[in-house]
Amino acid sequence: MTTITLPALIILLIFPGGLFLLASGLVYEWVDRKLVARFQNRVGPRWFQPLADMIKLLAKEEIIPTGVHPGLFVTLPVAALAAALTAALYVPMFGFTPAFSFRGDLVVTLYLLSMMTLGIGLAGANTVDRFSLVGATRTLTQLFSYEAPFLLTLLGPAIMASSWQISQINVYAHNVWWMIFTQPIGFVVALVGLMGKLEFPPFDAPEAETEIVSGALTEYSGRGLALFRIGKDVELVIGLTLVVAFYLGGLANPLEFLIKTLVLLLVMAGLQSLFARLRIDQTVGLWWRIGAVLALIQLLAIIIGRFIGRV
Amino acid sequence: MESLANQKKFIVPIGPQHPALKEPGHFEFTVDGEIITGASVRLGYVHRGIEKGTESRTWIQNLYLLERICGICSHVHALAYALGVEKLGNVDVPPRAQAIRTLVAEMERIHSHLLWLGVAAHEGGFDTLFMYTWRDRETVMDLLEGLTGNRVHYSVNVLGGVKVDVDEKQADAIRRGVDFLEERTKYYMKVVTTDETFLGRTRGVGKMTTEQADELGTVGPTGRASGLTRDIRVDAPYAAYPLYPVQVVTGTSGDLLERFIVRIKELYETYRLIRLILDKMPTGELTARIPRRIPENEAISRVEAPRGELFYFLKSNGSEMPERIKVRTPSICNWSSVINFAVGLKLADMPMVLSGMDPCFSCNDRLVVVNRPTGSQVWTWEELRQYGINYYR
Amino acid sequence: MSIGAMLGNIVESLFKKPATEHYPFERQPTPDRLRGNLLWDPGKCSGCQLCIRDCPSNALELIVLDKANKRFVMRYHADRCTFCGQCVQTCRFKCLSMSNEQWELASRSREAFTVNYGKDEDVQFLLDQAAQAGAGVPCQPE
Repeated sequence: MTTITLPALIILLIFPGGLFLLASGLVYEWVDRKLVARFQNRVGPRWFQPLADMIKLLAKEEIIPTGVHPGLFVTLPVAALAAALTAALYVPMFGFTPAFSFRGDLVVTLYLLSMMTLGIGLAGANTVDRFSLVGATRTLTQLFSYEAPFLLTLLGPAIMASSWQISQINVYAHNVWWMIFTQPIGFVVALVGLMGKLEFPPFDAPEAETEIVSGALTEYSGRGLALFRIGKDVELVIGLTLVVAFYLGGLANPLEFLIKTLVLLLVMAGLQSLFARLRIDQTVGLWWRIGAVLALIQLLAIIIGRFIGRV
Repeated sequence: MESLANQKKFIVPIGPQHPALKEPGHFEFTVDGEIITGASVRLGYVHRGIEKGTESRTWIQNLYLLERICGICSHVHALAYALGVEKLGNVDVPPRAQAIRTLVAEMERIHSHLLWLGVAAHEGGFDTLFMYTWRDRETVMDLLEGLTGNRVHYSVNVLGGVKVDVDEKQADAIRRGVDFLEERTKYYMKVVTTDETFLGRTRGVGKMTTEQADELGTVGPTGRASGLTRDIRVDAPYAAYPLYPVQVVTGTSGDLLERFIVRIKELYETYRLIRLILDKMPTGELTARIPRRIPENEAISRVEAPRGELFYFLKSNGSEMPERIKVRTPSICNWSSVINFAVGLKLADMPMVLSGMDPCFSCNDRLVVVNRPTGSQVWTWEELRQYGINYYR
Repeated sequence: MSIGAMLGNIVESLFKKPATEHYPFERQPTPDRLRGNLLWDPGKCSGCQLCIRDCPSNALELIVLDKANKRFVMRYHADRCTFCGQCVQTCRFKCLSMSNEQWELASRSREAFTVNYGKDEDVQFLLDQAAQAGAGVPCQPE
């Protein structure tokens, strides 16, 4: 494991958090869109497309619709992005040891990531627009349904490593067999849970373009929309890092980080292009019936395995 | 029905501008959570005054105006008009021209069904199927461009026959294209009937029994999916269909999945017909002489557009311009099949059910003439045009 | 009953060339019958003006300089034309045809869309007349 330590302020603002993280969020969004396009036999956007989108959005006027609480309207995107960036401090970003890790930071990271989704839901509920209200309802419904199985599957490696600290789980994962082979069910549920958290197809009912325009973000334009979108991209990178660190053998250096996360992104892009969109009631049914049961079975298997191992 | 005194009505408006709609139309769904409790529709956004416009153009010029009522079913509009005018003028069209007209009509049916498959998949969030069907649709559009000269608005019809001929090279290219498309259509049938996520969105949604479909007057594949055997190509054959009989494709369950299956099966039937027409094309001339002044008469012509029965009423008064042309397009018959069955569905199902009946909004908008004893006036084309310009100023 | 029925196709597409045509860097060859820009051959025209009566959008005008000697100039408004091909069908002497190479007809100004077709001296005569009246600048066909 590398033991490079940089001054805390640099980590927070420039590398590997802060600006570098924002830039890598844009790069990962581009890779995702390009892969989905190639799966659909199209060309896909050029490398600077997400950057151009961000610059364009930041340059446009932000329209505050009537009937909203203006303070809440403007600060929610900032809060959501801040939560997403803070969560990056506790995961092994780019293969470096997390700078600010402490015991129990797995729970904190997951809650910070959920705060992003909660921010989107609140932003939708803030307006009087029908589409945003329906979108906010769907976002929060989806949050309640995938949160429990996703947390349970991230608990599996934590139990094996006997720790709630992400950096320690990372070290443990690096030293044993890849947990994708020892806990396959957990990996599948975690991957699907990640797609639900990021609102990728087939779980994009909260922002279904053909039904409710843009879901909770319909009324947003300009700076607010840019911040929400960057927040989603950052969440993509952090989510990928978490799942890779736990299930695909830990992250020891930047090269491993790049290769493993890009392979996982390839699989996710393939899953995105395979399915039709699930209705929100089908999503909830799927998660609470199949997802939670599978996650519990996996946990049970781990607990019994450890018990037998100790005996 | 108000059940509670403080039950608010939560109305979700879809359109006139909405990513789900390709053309403007206004729908209001009263929802309770995700369940729809009421639905209403308002059309008329694409009214262009075409029926009035036909009264100030000659018979030949009207052919091209009426072709542009719709982009997807443009050939059948021109075909219905040309057949009607030939009936008015009592002209016999040579059989080779009728066969070529039928060939282009069937190729247009392929184009329309592939387009619809992509759009309906897109409404259900299945973008991959959308991209693939539209990629394969390029094949038939290139064939039509090679045959007629344009990808949409083929303009093969003239009053009395057709403009273009089919030679051996064209026929071979069409056969190859149809073989390729048949492979791909078999694949799409497999995807539509076996993919679990797709079945979850379409199975059992928007079910309509045969009696209900008959009572509401649904036409086209939407009605045939509920078991009605209504197909103008079989009930009242026109053009070259007496030479090349069609087998009607029907379904039994009447839900959204059945509408998909019926349209894909119609594609198989179309491929068979195209091969038959190319193998057994009659020889002869391409046009017949038709006078410029059509004698006074009334005629009706009905054709089977990809969406259902298209109905034209033409009236001539002996001059070079028509007296009245009335167009009734199939989409306008199918709206009730959506609105009546919307209650009880979820909001997420509505775009798919709407696109399941293949609405063509541009075809829809016609003017209703209300004849009151006093106070009604007849406008000329110029007056109608000026009204439209001033309305939006 | 399958999950992911399109798996075969999408994996294959990852290794195939995309189906998109990289216009304007690559252009597909056009079919022979493409209905592009309208071309007029003045040698055979008899001045019957049937094409002008049949045009659905009034895109053609015939300016008669001398009917007895068959000196005509045809003014074609490409911005009104719908490229239907009725005029080509109507003409009994096959004077009109539609090009299958000139189909990229966009322009930044309105003047480029009014095209005068005819023998050079006839068009020049018309332009001189128009220059005296102060009209716009038309184009010569290729």
